[in-house]
Amino acid sequence: MPERSKALFQWQKVSGQSLVVNDLTLTPQSQVLVVRFPWSAFVWQRPTAILVERNGQVERLSIVDRTRSIQLGLWGLGVIIFTVVNSIRLARRKKHDS
Amino acid sequence: MTDTENNLLNLAEKREGQFAGMMEKIYRAAQPGAVYSEPVTAGNYTVITASEIAAGGGFGSGSGSAGLTTFPKQETSEPQTEPASGGGSGMGGGGGSSGRPVAVIIIGPEGVTVRPVVDVTKIALAGVTIWGTMIMLLGRLRKARKH
Repeated sequence: MPERSKALFQWQKVSGQSLVVNDLTLTPQSQVLVVRFPWSAFVWQRPTAILVERNGQVERLSIVDRTRSIQLGLWGLGVIIFTVVNSIRLARRKKHDS
Repeated sequence: MTDTENNLLNLAEKREGQFAGMMEKIYRAAQPGAVYSEPVTAGNYTVITASEIAAGGGFGSGSGSAGLTTFPKQETSEPQTEPASGGGSGMGGGGGSSGRPVAVIIIGPEGVTVRPVVDVTKIALAGVTIWGTMIMLLGRLRKARKH
């Protein structure tokens, strides 16, 4: 096992062990977040891409987290709607007060 | 060395061992191979799943010994201070991990394709939360309009 860094926060890209399927060499890549405290720890890892090597040519296939993208989009939409509705409400209150 | 001290030392050693084991399990989630499954082959196709994983945990412990105890003796009216023996220690910890498939990598005769996995439940929950917030806000807006 490789020696681990003792940094409090670790955010890095890592490559896994390559595997050969048919005539293709696949190398998985991922991103890791490690939060380290003296008596606790948190680790989060997500796949980012897979490198496909065929006849000496390397192609990078990105792995997109569709669920996360849609979730972020929905949350973003929620924040926009909240801001707009609140702005309208404040504008109406100001108009009513004056 | 008294039995209490021996017990405390044993507990401390046990605690260190448990803590190291638990941390090792958490850090295992940071290894590159943790997010990719073993390839499964069926016919001309090989499938690998890619998942997002998260793991975390914490550990805590404490110990203490009894100090001096002050109590009145029955024969004399003055309170007497005498050393009391005893003590206690406790420890606890917890942890958890979760994983969610993100994509499926299919290796076939036509090459390698990455197909995303959509978690409908998570999206529906996000949608319900946003719609709930919107309905609440519209209700507040309507209330404000009435006043």
